[in-house]
Amino acid sequence: MTQDKKQQEYDDLTKIKYIGGHDYDGIRELDNRLPPWLKYLFYVTIVFAVSYLMLVFVFEDDSVIQEKEYQNEMAALHQAEEQEAEAAPVEVKERTQEEILAAGKVTFGKICSVCHGKFGEGLVGPNMTDEYWIHGGSFEDMKTVVLNGVIEKGMISYKNQLSNTQIDDVLTYIHSLQGTNPPNQKEPQGEKYVPEANAE
Amino acid sequence: MELEKFMYDNKITRNFAVATVVWGVVGLLMGLIVALQIFIPAMNFNLEFTTFGRTRPLHTNAAIFAFVGNAIFTAVYYSMQRLLKTRMFSDLLGKIHFWGWQLIIVAAAVTLLAGYTSGKEYAELEWPIDLAITVVWVIFGINMFGTLLIRRTSHIYVAIWFYIATWVTVAVLHIVNSIEIPYSLLKSYPVYAGVQDALVQWWYGHNAVAFFLTTPFLGLMYYFVPKAANRPIYSYKLSIVHFWSLIFIYIWAGPHHLLYTSLPNWLQALGTTFSIMLIAPSWGGMINGLLTLRGAWDKVRRDPILKMFVVGLTAYGMSTFEGPMLSLKTVNAISHYTDWTIGHVHIGALGWNGLMTFGMLYWLIPRLYNTKLWSTKLANAHFWLATLAIIFYAVPLYIGGITQALMWKQFTPDGFLLYPNFLETVTQLIPMYAIRAFGGSLYVTGMLLAVVNIVKTAQAGTFLKEEAAEAPALKTQEMPKQDNESWHGFLERKPIRFLIFATIAILIGGLFEIVPTYLVKSNVPTISSVKPYTPLELQGRDIYIKEGCYNCHSQMIRPFRSEVERYGEYSKAGEFVYDHPFQFGSKRTGPDLAREGVKTGKIYKPNAWHYNHFIDPQKMNEASIMPPYPWLAEKDIDLSSTPAKIRVMKKLGVPYPDNYEHQANDDLKAQAEEIAQNLREAGIETESTKEIIALIAYIQRLGTDITTPETSNE
Repeated sequence: MTQDKKQQEYDDLTKIKYIGGHDYDGIRELDNRLPPWLKYLFYVTIVFAVSYLMLVFVFEDDSVIQEKEYQNEMAALHQAEEQEAEAAPVEVKERTQEEILAAGKVTFGKICSVCHGKFGEGLVGPNMTDEYWIHGGSFEDMKTVVLNGVIEKGMISYKNQLSNTQIDDVLTYIHSLQGTNPPNQKEPQGEKYVPEANAE
Repeated sequence: MELEKFMYDNKITRNFAVATVVWGVVGLLMGLIVALQIFIPAMNFNLEFTTFGRTRPLHTNAAIFAFVGNAIFTAVYYSMQRLLKTRMFSDLLGKIHFWGWQLIIVAAAVTLLAGYTSGKEYAELEWPIDLAITVVWVIFGINMFGTLLIRRTSHIYVAIWFYIATWVTVAVLHIVNSIEIPYSLLKSYPVYAGVQDALVQWWYGHNAVAFFLTTPFLGLMYYFVPKAANRPIYSYKLSIVHFWSLIFIYIWAGPHHLLYTSLPNWLQALGTTFSIMLIAPSWGGMINGLLTLRGAWDKVRRDPILKMFVVGLTAYGMSTFEGPMLSLKTVNAISHYTDWTIGHVHIGALGWNGLMTFGMLYWLIPRLYNTKLWSTKLANAHFWLATLAIIFYAVPLYIGGITQALMWKQFTPDGFLLYPNFLETVTQLIPMYAIRAFGGSLYVTGMLLAVVNIVKTAQAGTFLKEEAAEAPALKTQEMPKQDNESWHGFLERKPIRFLIFATIAILIGGLFEIVPTYLVKSNVPTISSVKPYTPLELQGRDIYIKEGCYNCHSQMIRPFRSEVERYGEYSKAGEFVYDHPFQFGSKRTGPDLAREGVKTGKIYKPNAWHYNHFIDPQKMNEASIMPPYPWLAEKDIDLSSTPAKIRVMKKLGVPYPDNYEHQANDDLKAQAEEIAQNLREAGIETESTKEIIALIAYIQRLGTDITTPETSNE
């Protein structure tokens, strides 16, 4: 069988010439040229590569130097922020208490619950549902804690992670947890806080 | 011409084929297990040996080196004998190669599950196994070149060009990437650190894909596709062009695994550009395979073997187009660290390596047993199952990967991250993980059909242990280059010269990229505030490596607003100079940890949180998919290893004071007591001798060496 093929110069089906003398365990090879489109694709990728490397090595263009890319991203952001600040302030929409609590609950679930428990019952962080507070139970005291953190206890600052509205919402929500008495509560920590009679 | 009579050794081929099937089942089942573990923490069985950080490396190693590796050797030992018209050079070397490789696999499985890992992906095996691999690989090489030298054909066929390139490149990659100094019988530290270690590792990792999963399979393809189709190879010229361009270009592309990391820009640019230039050379292989089927397409419709080859080659074409696209920085900014990458590699693994292997086995087994395939219908069913499996596997990961990347980058109009809690971006993916696992189970089912079919075929036939053949002896090869002979035709008569040329082709890229990172200091700018790890942190780091944390957590913050906002200041090359090995990671199933210890950072957690979280992640976060690590609180830190570790680190250039190895354990105990005391204050009773204390120390150290952004005026 191999012998027969050897004598053949052309493939029967495609009428393409075989490479003379090539017969490996009956496998023959045709004398086709490279598909032109593949060749041109190769050239195009080489042109791309050379141009890209020129950008990096010769022109040192900002768009291919990642530190510059980052600086530009941040600069554009600051510019946008400044423009926004100059523009007329947006009117704040009145929200119902339910909406505020719902927004606060979302933030609490995303962030606070990791340490303070899903229902505020306390985990690594203290219980939020009892009347005892380590750093004060007033709205202002709690806001100070959220803004600045109590780093030695593991509470980080959320100044740069939550907007002012988000912080106010979540604090309103935490206040609403008072006395909900969820299961698995952490023991009380800190001082008992009694809201002043005329406080909001 | 006088014909010489000789025998082909089918036994060695059959043995490798059996090993391929056996390890194929193991590798795929491990894959299915890790696919389930990733979204069902209970599937980790609360055992250190079966937890994701250890099972995932076992899956990848089993799939690559056991399943695909044995498939390569099956193809090589079968096709080389026939393409060179000779028995293999040495039956004994073949046997040592076979049993040596299987022993290495068993040793790998045992040590990986026991937690002995180098912490470098796809190169996890520790130094004694690294040495064994080197020895077996050299034996394979001797057998291969011995066979080439006793051949009865004047020229060597393209399949063997690929085998030669495979052999030499894998040898170079494996040896260079595994240079390490042992500190115990089974553990070592690599000589490279940080960014340099990352570069060497991904030069290795990427080219393991190139020269273990690709070039030997092109060799396999060049033999079995024309054989099964009974058609000539489409173009000899294309073979030459795509072979040399492929092996020369591939070796440069490694840095594309490190885009937007603290690897120097110029290296990243080489990674991107050489990846793009790889498209045409890669497609050359696919085209030469597919067009070889020209004139046999009616046969393809009926024959499951050819169908597998067609889908295999198409999958190869798809993943070698996708790969270069992922190497573009704009695309990589989205795809990196996500499941997109996992989807991408499985197109190659399940499609190209898997289906080419099964096609080969269905063709080969009946010939070894001198019979017909037991059931073509079953093979057809396997084909359809596997093809569907690939779709069910990859599509959800593409959707999941892109979804998660976009969630990571989304900001509110106020300029805050829309999803500040990483976990939210993970819970989104759970349905996708479930569909992926379903796809995986389809693929496993197909594999089991193959097992039945192969066993039944073997039972129906009789094993042809020795196969008679005859060919004329080869006239002396000393003949100089003939006038009418092309230079390449001449090279095809000179296997050793061929080896030398191939070696030069694959060395250039590696040398060009790796050497300057050592010689030119600006590649890793020094940061004076970066100090070596304390002994406790070092022990903790080794636990981090042992538990395979790098499989799910990166330690490399990219210079994007979204990452700096989420994790803190982006990572700098100078921060990692004492990291033997580097732990950048390549996937964020959990959040990045590069700045986990920065107290003023965004993701800081107190010691007590880490303690509780390691023992029971779901207690801290119901939806968390992290497995629990309760044994860390039970096992004691191995203090006896501290002096040896410090000694080896010093040898590697880490500036510990003189004689520090004698003092190290005192410092370790003092720091551990401090952490234990802090935990007690938070109500956690623990001894300071436990592994969990060391791991917490390491985690709290991460990213703290530079607390303020550098003033960049280099």
